Amino acid sequence: MPSLVIDRVTKHYGGFRAIEDVSLSVERGEFIVMVGPSGCGKSTLLRVIAGLEAITAGKVTINDRDVTALEPADRGVAMVFQNYALYPHMNVAQNMGFGLKMSGRPRAEVEAAVRRAAEILRITDYLAKRPKELSGGQKQRVAIGRAITRAPEVFLFDEPLSNLDAALRSQMRVELSRLHKELHATMVYVTHDQTEAMTMADRIVVLNAGVIEQIGSPLDLYNRPGNLFVAGFLGSPRMNFFRARVETVADGAIEVAPVGLHERIRLPLRGGSVAAGAEVMLGVRPEAFQEEAPNGIQVTATVKVVESLGRETLLYADAGTFATTASESQEGYIAVHRASQQAVAYGATIRLAIDPRDIFVFDPKGPTLRYPERQLAAD
Amino acid sequence: MSKLFRFRVLTTAMYGFVIVYSLFVLLPMLWMVFAAFKTKREIFIDPLGMPDSLTFVAFGRSWAIGLGAFLFNSAVVTVLSVLLIVLVSGMAAYVLARSDYPWMRWVYLLVVVCFAVPVHSVLVPLFQMISAAGMLNNRLAIALPYAAYGIPFTTVLLYAFFLDFPRELEDAARLDNCNRLQTFLRVILPLSGPALASASIFQAVFIWNEFLLALLMLTRPALKTVPVGIFELTSEFTSDWPAVMAGLSIAIMPIVFIFFFAQKYFVRSLAGLGK
Repeated sequence: MPSLVIDRVTKHYGGFRAIEDVSLSVERGEFIVMVGPSGCGKSTLLRVIAGLEAITAGKVTINDRDVTALEPADRGVAMVFQNYALYPHMNVAQNMGFGLKMSGRPRAEVEAAVRRAAEILRITDYLAKRPKELSGGQKQRVAIGRAITRAPEVFLFDEPLSNLDAALRSQMRVELSRLHKELHATMVYVTHDQTEAMTMADRIVVLNAGVIEQIGSPLDLYNRPGNLFVAGFLGSPRMNFFRARVETVADGAIEVAPVGLHERIRLPLRGGSVAAGAEVMLGVRPEAFQEEAPNGIQVTATVKVVESLGRETLLYADAGTFATTASESQEGYIAVHRASQQAVAYGATIRLAIDPRDIFVFDPKGPTLRYPERQLAAD
Repeated sequence: MSKLFRFRVLTTAMYGFVIVYSLFVLLPMLWMVFAAFKTKREIFIDPLGMPDSLTFVAFGRSWAIGLGAFLFNSAVVTVLSVLLIVLVSGMAAYVLARSDYPWMRWVYLLVVVCFAVPVHSVLVPLFQMISAAGMLNNRLAIALPYAAYGIPFTTVLLYAFFLDFPRELEDAARLDNCNRLQTFLRVILPLSGPALASASIFQAVFIWNEFLLALLMLTRPALKTVPVGIFELTSEFTSDWPAVMAGLSIAIMPIVFIFFFAQKYFVRSLAGLGK
């Protein structure tokens, strides 16, 4: 039985369509991460589930209970906010127990629930402190503890880690994954950070302009993005996109001429249809560039930026007319990922080889026409 | 001229201005206190000099006309009005700051427009209304107009404060099973202490010192407030100036006292008004 069902939910603010006809079913114990650019409606959708926003049309069901018209407190949800939203005038224990107290639960029960949550999060030492005496990470733990205290059917997280510094963020990511496993809780998590999405999610929901672009497991979305938007959104640095024109269509394969290259590439399609003369977008992940590719395309490029990350290296290289579009670099540089340290300096010339089997093909306005034949992991 | 030199000149000039202005405000007060220690003769012979002896006789004469009762009346009226102002303005400002209805903007503008009505222009109709309501010589006769005049300013002051109040706290309260009123009483009010304190002090000072309405509405001696009460010490032919000054010295003490301890809030809230 699904724990949470969002059924054809629409939310308009006056003329602005924040969410348009969105449906989503979340299984019990699932960790769902909603990602998308700013203003895509992901936070609004979370607030809709919480009951903080009334919806224009549709239905929200939690454990088979229609909660569409219910107040937030009656829905069986708990929410963790980006800026913690702890009550400054209450100490940690009061903050965590406030919800149960307002629901008229006996004091002993409230105290027991607070203690249990504090033990899970290892914050029993702070119970008597005020929020302002805590660090950012401790505050976020308390905010999560407040959610656990209420023993909700669905946990909602609204970018909970974005106010923390990088080190603390990865620590809390691990912590949240542990909590999810320990509590067997249904969690819906909103973030703009794709690392969080990739690492924590059972399934990722990619939202754009108020509609769901694609739902799937992290690797599924990474390897088989349903369209150009999803392909560009997941992965850092972004996928390199190159404009190309379809020259011929024959035997389920197309021959394309990339803009800025003399070569033509023959690519078998996997479903989808396209006509000769159509504009398509080729996609190549930064890690797909090789130094040699027997049957591939070779380009020579000048290194413009080197980002040495220790165990890996990111290069941004200028291949002249063979330039990327709407990718990581505004200047049309090609983003290249090398899994090792590289002795390359600014201005150096490097050879980039692309194996045709690694190329994505996108209809700029429609679904993906072709995924690479090779995937790094079988999923 | 170096930048540093110019900066120092400017700083010195600004300090100079502030010192002169402070003297301009403080000297009359100092004169008032000195005058309170003088005799009736002395005050006319040597108005600007120091008192000859430290005598509290004038304070005694001033207290004898019932200053204690006046202070009590002022305190009752001030507390009553301020409570009314804070309660009404607090709720009004919260609703104005949170409502999505476009016409609430107009309500807000209307509240701001209320500033523009000087009390003197409505004095006669106000007197007639209070009189017709049979409320002359009732403390409400001044407490209600005071509240009416205090509410717009306080509403605007608190509106600016509530606009900045983190909405997440209200969302959290809703998820914690609070209705609107509980959210206001249990989360917003406890966190509005500084804003409410400054609004209260501001209004309390004004109400404590108000003279004209109090003079018109309350004619029974037992109800008079401090400013009106002290006025009794002057008459057409003789005025007991040392006693007047002694009475005023006593009258300003509560306000100076409050100011001394709460000026931090006072300044901070006014600094937030520009929103």
